[in-house]
Amino acid sequence: MFKNYVKIALRNLWKNRLFTIIGILGLSIAFGVATLLTMDSLHELSYNDFHSNGDKLYKVFITWQIPKGTEVGTSHPTPFAAALETEVPGIDKITRFVEEEALTIYNEKELGLDAVYVDGDFFEMFSFPVLQGVRENILTDVSSTVITKSTATKLFGDEHPIGKTVTVLINGKNKPFIVRAVSADEPENSSIEFDIALPFEKHPEYEETKERWNAQYHSVFVQLEESVSAKTFEENSRAFTNLHYQGASENLKRDGALPNANGNFLQLGLLPVTDMRFVSYNKGYVEISRAKVFLVLGVAFLILFIACVNFVNMSIAKSAQRLREIGMRKTLGAEKRQLFLQFWGESLIVFIISLGTGVLLSFLLKDNFKTLFDTGATFDILLSPIILFIALLLVLVISLIVGGYPALLLSRLTTVQSLKGKLDSSGKNHLRDALIVLQFGIAILLISGTFILNEQLDYMRNKDLGYDKEQVLSFPLNGKKDSYDVVNLLREELKNNPNIIAITAADNNLGRGRDGSQSSSVWGFEYKGKNVRTNALTVDYDYIKTLGLELKEGRTFDIARESDTQAVLINESMARELEEETPLTAFLPAGDSVSFAIIGVVKDYNFQDISKTIEPLTFFLDRERGLTYAYVKVASSNMADSFTSIENAFKKIEPNAEFLGSFLDENVDRTFRREKTMAALITSGSIIAILLSCVGLFAMSMLITNQRTKEIGVRKVIGASVASVTYLLTKDYLKLVLIAFVISTPIAWWFANEWLQDYANRINLSWHFFAFSGVLVLLIAVLTISTKTIKSALANPVKSLRTE
Amino acid sequence: MLLQLKNIFKWVNSGGQRIFLLKDINFEVSEGEFISIMGPSGSGKSTLLNVIGMLDGFDEGEYHFLDESVHSLKEKHRSNLYKEYIGFVFQSYHLLDDLTVKENLEMPLLYKKYSSSERKAKVADMLDRFNIVGKKDLFPAQLSGGQQQLVGIARALISNPKLILADEPTGNLNSKQGEEIMELFKKLNDEGVTIIQVTHSEKNAAYGSRVINLLDGRMI
Ligand SMILES: Nc1ncnc2c1ncn2[C@@H]1O[C@H](COP(=O)(O)OP(=O)(O)OP(=O)(O)O)[C@@H](O)[C@H]1O
Ligand SMILES: [Mg+2]
Repeated sequence: MFKNYVKIALRNLWKNRLFTIIGILGLSIAFGVATLLTMDSLHELSYNDFHSNGDKLYKVFITWQIPKGTEVGTSHPTPFAAALETEVPGIDKITRFVEEEALTIYNEKELGLDAVYVDGDFFEMFSFPVLQGVRENILTDVSSTVITKSTATKLFGDEHPIGKTVTVLINGKNKPFIVRAVSADEPENSSIEFDIALPFEKHPEYEETKERWNAQYHSVFVQLEESVSAKTFEENSRAFTNLHYQGASENLKRDGALPNANGNFLQLGLLPVTDMRFVSYNKGYVEISRAKVFLVLGVAFLILFIACVNFVNMSIAKSAQRLREIGMRKTLGAEKRQLFLQFWGESLIVFIISLGTGVLLSFLLKDNFKTLFDTGATFDILLSPIILFIALLLVLVISLIVGGYPALLLSRLTTVQSLKGKLDSSGKNHLRDALIVLQFGIAILLISGTFILNEQLDYMRNKDLGYDKEQVLSFPLNGKKDSYDVVNLLREELKNNPNIIAITAADNNLGRGRDGSQSSSVWGFEYKGKNVRTNALTVDYDYIKTLGLELKEGRTFDIARESDTQAVLINESMARELEEETPLTAFLPAGDSVSFAIIGVVKDYNFQDISKTIEPLTFFLDRERGLTYAYVKVASSNMADSFTSIENAFKKIEPNAEFLGSFLDENVDRTFRREKTMAALITSGSIIAILLSCVGLFAMSMLITNQRTKEIGVRKVIGASVASVTYLLTKDYLKLVLIAFVISTPIAWWFANEWLQDYANRINLSWHFFAFSGVLVLLIAVLTISTKTIKSALANPVKSLRTE
Repeated sequence: MLLQLKNIFKWVNSGGQRIFLLKDINFEVSEGEFISIMGPSGSGKSTLLNVIGMLDGFDEGEYHFLDESVHSLKEKHRSNLYKEYIGFVFQSYHLLDDLTVKENLEMPLLYKKYSSSERKAKVADMLDRFNIVGKKDLFPAQLSGGQQQLVGIARALISNPKLILADEPTGNLNSKQGEEIMELFKKLNDEGVTIIQVTHSEKNAAYGSRVINLLDGRMI
């Protein structure tokens, strides 16, 4: 019996090989895509899940009531952690944490390493296991350090790392550290990344801020005691904030902020470490959203759905050819159950083959996928027994629905009905139509998404940011020499090069450079009885000129005037924030006796990510602070040559440092990484979706046209024209695409609108995005269908009549 | 007595009206009979045959087959009944195109409990009996109409049914082929198989022992 089924199934699949191949192809692609996207999603969801104390680890944040609402901060002052541990019950372990680039030297080797300054508990709280060296009291000795395994290999090669002394450049000074332990490299799914861990006491800010509560620059992680919940801890911490932030609270109150529900102006909060990957503070409160992951899973689901719809529709359309077989089998004694099993079995064969090729496909494409989607996900994550079991179950369920539904339809037909060889066509097509509508609805949704996303990306890319991003390049000053010296040496080195227009430096980059870091520095002070917060930027001379910024009022820093180190420039937003009619006469207080004169107002420019509104900004000429990025403006001709000469000049000045120069437009582009991945996802998703839908439509129109061959013949014999027959065969589908358009457009509009809300600078949603996607889908659909229908409309009617 | 129909009515509802397909059908069939059903096109011959074959239901009346009351049987039981006792022969053969002659013959056995060796023996026996051993590996499309109908009859006979139902078995054949099929039926009938056939031809009807005439769903 079973052998007979398999034989029939294989012969049938072979007989309809075109459809079999189309079906397998569609399903394989869908399974492949679904595998890759699931891999990516699971990887995202697994972020930070490897800490064995994970359920007790939290990052401490603080919510401020400000006049405009609330604001969340994750930076804390140096004495905060120790005070918290002693004053608020429930803390088992606590560590301060700050991440910084650190030049590390061993013999001839100089490496720019990703350093974290942490307290001793760090390695006991987080699961970064120690492979070599001491396992207890790590980092309690302030001259000790822990490095990761790959750092050990980079620094020492095959030498034994424990006990070796490395030198780290901190605040321009060489500090020696003894390697006490080597930890395993952090896993791919860790938010905390580091190459070297240093005692917190060695952080450049530490000495100066030991006692100060108003310098906030590091984050704090806690591990709560077993019996304590985050909520209890948060409630218990109110006395602590009231005590240590009394002054801040009073200021907030005076500035017109409203207290929160508990009557406080500040409230500590705990963010589970497992949520760290999904948190956003932008809206002034802690927002944890895994929506992006679910978007990815959603696209996988939609594509799978489309492929399944194809399969169902094709099975049903194809089965019309097999009605006589069913009828005959019934008269020979086949039972419903046996027929169902036979047809489902045929689908299962196709499913298993497709699953196999799909997984193979995803395996072959996984490297391309990882680059395209910028993910560190690996196949291993799919290999856990639970996931495999769920996947298997899912495939079985899908095949049961997708293969089982047509099987059920067929097995339920009455014998006489099926022997006549005609499906009762009236009712059954509703489902098919609904599925086609859904399929094209999804395609239109994804295509509108593609247009809107790419349009927004394009908009952000081409928007005038207020500075010259094409002709200016920046690079980190990551060498050993004093940064001011380096900039001056660069000027000296390049002064005879006609293509170099201007050189400057600052303590922050624009966009995201090749070193991948982005930072911000905020300065708050009291001004005329009001709290003012501004971004602070330390610059060198020529900053305005090099970046092509526009000066609205006043003048820029002048090297001839020594007093300019006590002067500042502000941007227009800052001028508005100060509420000063004539900002050039104003002074900003910088301490008890010192104040900064405002000498100029710079036109607003997007110094932060374009998604943000332009915040207040103050430029300092603070010679005490180091500069971290150099900027060079080059002539528009010979830009490649200029780049090389800058690189050579820097190499000459800092022979051991890596030159990480890139033009600012590239830097800006790098800040869209998230959007670019999303655009890549939606674009490829919609291409696959429309492709699969069309394949399905093509197969359907072919089957149905074949079934209507006789009707077409009759109509033509009676005198119908080719055009009218084509129209007859096409119009049903067009109606379906139109319905799909009407349904999916509002949904697409809603999603797009929600998404765009995150961008301060955004495109206007206009009807033409949707109209265009609708027309595109319609066109593709018409083209797909008409290739087959026109052919059969043109066919000789005598021939088509004879085939029956 | 093999089967008995009592006051059988069958109708469909169309546009609020009841259209009768069969009206008050009454007759008995004894084992070993060879009956022909005749009547103009659309008079309900096929419908009646399907009812007898239990492929189609009816709305009113009683139907007894052997000792069973068909009208009160469950679908599953009914299908067991016809599976065991009835073989069907169709005007358009209804062979499965994807199976060879041999496989087509084997098919009914697959839905019953036969061992593989029993099946082989029965198929070989049938091929022999109908002189089609040489065609056993061909597909239906490779046979002539007469040969296909031969296979169709062989398939109907393979599980030793008591009753053969044939709906215009010679309708698609030329007169020479038709005659051969009718001779075959005659021979089977002589061997004890009960046969009910639908036919338009007086000549074919003459092979039978009795004729039932239908007009507008009613026996006349
Ligand atoms: N499902 C149905 N719905 C409505 N009417 C039906 C249905 N099935 C059959 N009929 C009608 O029942 C009548 C009898 O049909 P049947 O097929 O039994 O005729 P027949 O005697 O076999 O004709 P022929 O000699 O042409 O094969 C016809 O008038 C037909 O239109
Ligand atoms: Mg008939």
